[in-house]
Amino acid sequence: MKHLAAPSLGMAPARGIHYLRGMRVPVILGIETSCDETAAAIVTGDRTVLAERLLSQLGEHAPYGGVVPEIAARAHLQHLDRLIAETMAAAKLEFRDLTAIAATGGPGLIGGVMVGVMTAKAIAAVHKLPFLAVNHLEGHALSPRLAGDVPFPYLLLLVSGGHCQLLAVEGVGRYVRLGGTVDDAAGEAFDKVAKMLGLGYPGGPAVERAASRGVPGRFRLPRPMKGRAGADFSFAGLKTAVRQAIAALPGGRAAPQDAADLCRDFQDAVADIVGDRVRHALARFRREWPDGRTLVVAGGVAANAALRTVLDGAAREASLAFAAPPLRYCTDNAAMIAWAGIERLALGQRDGLDFAPRPRWPLAEALPGAAA
Amino acid sequence: MVSVLGIDTSAAACSAALWRDGAVIAREHAAMARGHAEALMPMVERVMHGAAYESLDAVAVTAGPGAFTGLRIGLAAARGIALAAGIPAIGISAFAAVARAVPEAALAGRALAVAIDTKRGDVYLQCFGAARRPLGLGRVAGADEIAALLPHGPLAIAGDGADIVAAALAEAARDATWAGDRAPPDAGAVAALGAEALAAARRGDAPLPPAEPLYLRAPEATPLALQGKPRDRNR
Repeated sequence: MKHLAAPSLGMAPARGIHYLRGMRVPVILGIETSCDETAAAIVTGDRTVLAERLLSQLGEHAPYGGVVPEIAARAHLQHLDRLIAETMAAAKLEFRDLTAIAATGGPGLIGGVMVGVMTAKAIAAVHKLPFLAVNHLEGHALSPRLAGDVPFPYLLLLVSGGHCQLLAVEGVGRYVRLGGTVDDAAGEAFDKVAKMLGLGYPGGPAVERAASRGVPGRFRLPRPMKGRAGADFSFAGLKTAVRQAIAALPGGRAAPQDAADLCRDFQDAVADIVGDRVRHALARFRREWPDGRTLVVAGGVAANAALRTVLDGAAREASLAFAAPPLRYCTDNAAMIAWAGIERLALGQRDGLDFAPRPRWPLAEALPGAAA
Repeated sequence: MVSVLGIDTSAAACSAALWRDGAVIAREHAAMARGHAEALMPMVERVMHGAAYESLDAVAVTAGPGAFTGLRIGLAAARGIALAAGIPAIGISAFAAVARAVPEAALAGRALAVAIDTKRGDVYLQCFGAARRPLGLGRVAGADEIAALLPHGPLAIAGDGADIVAAALAEAARDATWAGDRAPPDAGAVAALGAEALAAARRGDAPLPPAEPLYLRAPEATPLALQGKPRDRNR
């Protein structure tokens, strides 16, 4: 992301209109409400985030050990319009200054998606602006291009609480799925292990913190799928092994040091599995997309330092650059939705006000033999 | 000249209506169990017929009770329109909207019970007396509680949960008649009530009711401390 280039025309620009080398650039409001984050952001075609607001519902869901869809949907409705107003005010823009409105149209918790989509459609109708329903996964997939000028094609590892897949990103709207999880998402495995050990929610940061105090090698945990052809993932067996390891401890309970050691071995196993699967995908990516130069990670699990180290190593081995968007654009955010809107608008795409929110919306159809 | 856009997506129908100077001048209605999120904004656009949203005095929407997701579709749209057009969004009770649509002849001095189907075997219930003034607040009423919650004397019943009330009354051998067509709230009544609320606010009689959801039921969720076994993170 960069700061706004000064207008190079001899006249002052109209308020709220953004110029790059004398050309007007699009300004898009993005809205994200597909899980437990209510977010709005205004992004320009020259990768400037003019303003953003994000409200996490973490505290509202923590007592339940996971996101409760009805609680999430209620919170999105309660806060979204105010967040948008604050974002517009922070950017010093009026709605009529916008080029288009983009909102996450799915996949995700449908009650929340509906709130974002209806709000966006309404604003678009009032100001006769194009409306874009963005696939949340496409938002993640294109987010590295918001952070920097990452050229197509690139290999993307998308790892979050709800998703775990490897995609070759050929261009906007052109995704080839190289592999995905056959059961749990990686972030889900972190959440479940945290829950078994009573570490709280969300599990990713909690497990990583505990692991930092753990001694490796005490628990022998399996590496499902490791060494297998293809690039699919599986975490269910690993999760079960953690449960059995806890049951085998004295009294069937993990003392703090037990929990730390177990978290360390669990995290190492996840990094090991992901590293192996990514190496398989990289081999294929280099074969079939020889122009590709970059391995990119996105999604909340990209926050995990052990995982980043493994990915950086795998990219080096394959002579590719490794790129991760800044952490706040790895987790769910509205800037990536606005950016995906900008990329799609540049191709002349837009959606109708009759767009139906999609709870399920695969980014790429699974290849023959690959799990959904 | 007062102009109010009305919206309802609270039950098994989707409707939009434009109120101008004392009458509904455009209205669309479609029965549907699902698909409100697709249908609503194109319907609103047709009802507006090219008129500028900024020319509206307010947008009124059914606040509930009703289907949770349905309520949020209408409320999010109304709040989005309000924000973008710089006009107030007004929340209208689903009970009041149903009561408003009941013809005077159907009441004929009877009290009115408005019942909204919760789709869980019980109803959201509110009763109205003379001049359609509410007799107490709306609430969830189980089938076995209904008879005891109704006012004495002859009664008219309305709303898409009227069948459930009728069944409860038949058991209690009460004098009750149908009022209206057991329909869910309609945007025409919502727009009319919105215009009344706006007038009352302008006179300084009452603040504008905000477009806040009226769920009448808490989300179903079990806190971690009470959970027997791990609950899957929802995806």
